[in-house]
Amino acid sequence: MSNKHPSDIPPRGETKSSRGQTVLRAILAVGGGLVLVVLGSLLVDFGLAPSWLTGATRDQSEAETAAAQSGGDGKQAALFQPPAESTIPDDDFGKSVRRGMAIFNDTGTNAHDYVGNDLSCSNCHLDAGRQAYSAPMWAAYPVYPKYRGKNKMVNTMEDRIKGCFTYSMNAQGSPSGGPPPYGSDVYRDLQAYFFWMSKGLPTGEKPEGAGFGKIDKPAQEPSRQRGEEVFAQNCAVCHGADGQGQKDINGKVVFPPLWGPHSFNWGAGMHKVDAAAAFIKHNMPLSEPNKLSVQEAWDVAAFVDSHPRPNDPRQIGDVTVKDAFDKWHHKHQGFYGKEVDGELMGPGYSSGEQASVPAQNENSGG
Amino acid sequence: MTDKKPDPRRPDENFEPFEETRRIPWPVYSIAIALAIWGVIMLVQTSTAVQVADKTQEEVAKEDSTKLAQAAAPDLDAGKTLFADNCATCHGDAGEGVAGAFPPLHGSDVVKLGGAKAVTHIGMRGIGGKLNVNGDGYEGQMPAFGSVLSDTEISEIASYVATGLNDDAKTISAPEVADIRKVAGDKDPFDGGAGLAGLINDLPAQPNSEAADQGADSERVAQLVGQGTDTVWACASCHGDKGEGIETVPRLAGLPAPYLAKQLHDFQRGTRFNDSMAYVAKGLSDREIGELANYYASMSSPSGAKPALQGDLKRGAQLAKQGDWSIGVPACFTCHGPSGVGVAPNFPGIAAQQPSYVAHQLAMWAGGARHNSPLGLMAGIGKALNDSDRRAVADYLASLAPMPAMDKTELAAMESNIPVREGVDQ
Repeated sequence: MSNKHPSDIPPRGETKSSRGQTVLRAILAVGGGLVLVVLGSLLVDFGLAPSWLTGATRDQSEAETAAAQSGGDGKQAALFQPPAESTIPDDDFGKSVRRGMAIFNDTGTNAHDYVGNDLSCSNCHLDAGRQAYSAPMWAAYPVYPKYRGKNKMVNTMEDRIKGCFTYSMNAQGSPSGGPPPYGSDVYRDLQAYFFWMSKGLPTGEKPEGAGFGKIDKPAQEPSRQRGEEVFAQNCAVCHGADGQGQKDINGKVVFPPLWGPHSFNWGAGMHKVDAAAAFIKHNMPLSEPNKLSVQEAWDVAAFVDSHPRPNDPRQIGDVTVKDAFDKWHHKHQGFYGKEVDGELMGPGYSSGEQASVPAQNENSGG
Repeated sequence: MTDKKPDPRRPDENFEPFEETRRIPWPVYSIAIALAIWGVIMLVQTSTAVQVADKTQEEVAKEDSTKLAQAAAPDLDAGKTLFADNCATCHGDAGEGVAGAFPPLHGSDVVKLGGAKAVTHIGMRGIGGKLNVNGDGYEGQMPAFGSVLSDTEISEIASYVATGLNDDAKTISAPEVADIRKVAGDKDPFDGGAGLAGLINDLPAQPNSEAADQGADSERVAQLVGQGTDTVWACASCHGDKGEGIETVPRLAGLPAPYLAKQLHDFQRGTRFNDSMAYVAKGLSDREIGELANYYASMSSPSGAKPALQGDLKRGAQLAKQGDWSIGVPACFTCHGPSGVGVAPNFPGIAAQQPSYVAHQLAMWAGGARHNSPLGLMAGIGKALNDSDRRAVADYLASLAPMPAMDKTELAAMESNIPVREGVDQ
């Protein structure tokens, strides 16, 4: 400091101890600031900063919670995850898998000759047959062939799919009048899709997430009356107040009909109240699984399953509803062969009433 | 008395009623400096990002224009991809159609007779009426793709449909599409098969067109929309002359009348919040609400929406078509219909909706600010999506063609069902 300006001269009388304090504070402040910035960015980098601060709305643990909620009973995170669609191989096998998936998702179009109603496989097997507790196909494939009480014989996967066409897809009302014949490419492609989807699962073991899951017994006997209210409040928005589903302006079925001539028939698994209740509890309303209580699920299942639907295809010739009941239905929790509001459940519809292609002028059903 | 001990409660005689200036402690400076450094870093980062984005956009634009210049013959592979992105949700991956709903494009007599040129005309304008394909009848409500696809893209799709899905040898070039756009671009959709008769020679028998009935009060409603009244301002002043919306103002054209009426009633009752709309809705009578809902439901207008939120379109397409069940979200199209055209009365069309509006509404559902969807379905979905998912799906929907107008006859049938519910339904 050669230039002695008066302000450079320290003020007289001030104690020496405070000299240089300002500089020291400045150094500490700047240094502290830098340390804070570095620490803060490290925290963000290692993902330790809270999400409300960084704006990341869903971190890993939250994603897991969401997955667990969607699964129903918190076990979803541990369940088998089928491979992503993008991993379908780009070869002839992959083509078969894709055809199978297309049949699964729009059965009425891609297996048109064998479908006698307005349903697709994916209406009950949600997320293209991938959703746990929605009878996922990855869980079904590894347990076939197996003995089934329904027809008292060992069933192959093909037999089983044939059953789906016969009952759930009401093949008797289809253009061909029946399910695909044995050896049909429809079975081949569907099995290719299921096989591809269950890669990595052990055969012969029923994986967790199979079927529609278990549902507790209701506290009270299921009631159609209570079920009707549950239906009006929770189901009618999509499936229509009359349960006949809804179509878009082009007549494409968007929400499937739950009863009546265009729904599954009296031989389908879903006509059993316990099966329907489990499906509803774990999957409905769509995107809000487990919203309904156990009692509500049983009540609404009873309401849905106590409406007329196409007849049981086994009930041919002079087999009466009573014969069919004694032979196939007496052990089921269902309304087959019973009277509901004075109407006998089971006689089905005449073929004219359940033409497979929906009439063009039909109102969209709301 | 003077040497009495001073009362400890009395203030010190040297007490001065002001505080000594104290220095601001250095940690406070530290924090201020840290914030300043962080701010500068953010500024620099953002501006670099913007520069990079601008540069890539320029490059893409340049690439596009050179591509356009080079493209003499349409690229059929690109056409196949575009078909998968724009047509397959309704007509199927292989153009097989959906029985009773969407006519096949593979092996279709209409395509065979009309070739790529007719496909271009139909793609450009859409269809709004019944038609017959291969002897089967269809409702024929097809969106107009003129406003969302470029001439090159339309030429590629039309050429793919004519030559790839059918055995026609003739393709159509982008300049030819541009010529068709000049003639047909702003016309209304074809009036079903009857409207196609003038376009395609020797077309097999087609259903008669139903003359649209304008209705007696159309003039009054048009005034309400265009000029407003003494108490409410015109709908068009925010929603646009063609009901196409802008940014956070939604597109209204083609939405189901009962849905529109319900929203207006909800604004009126306060079950859906928006200051401007609450004001407008309170100035409308029930009858006017019904008429306005019908007016917009029967309106078909080009898309005014474009992806604008930097969303991941691939993720958006996945959410719309397949959903993401690992977070409990079913596909949008499961409820809102194939290609997002909507399912009257409760599920509005979401195709060609303004992306900012969609992302904003999804966020409002997530936060509970909007809560008037049936069963609260949208609340759960809004919550399950994160911010980038919301932007992705909003941008994807904005890239779709606008849904066709609702059929007039169907409107009339629905008019009596327009809900004027007084109770709280959600």
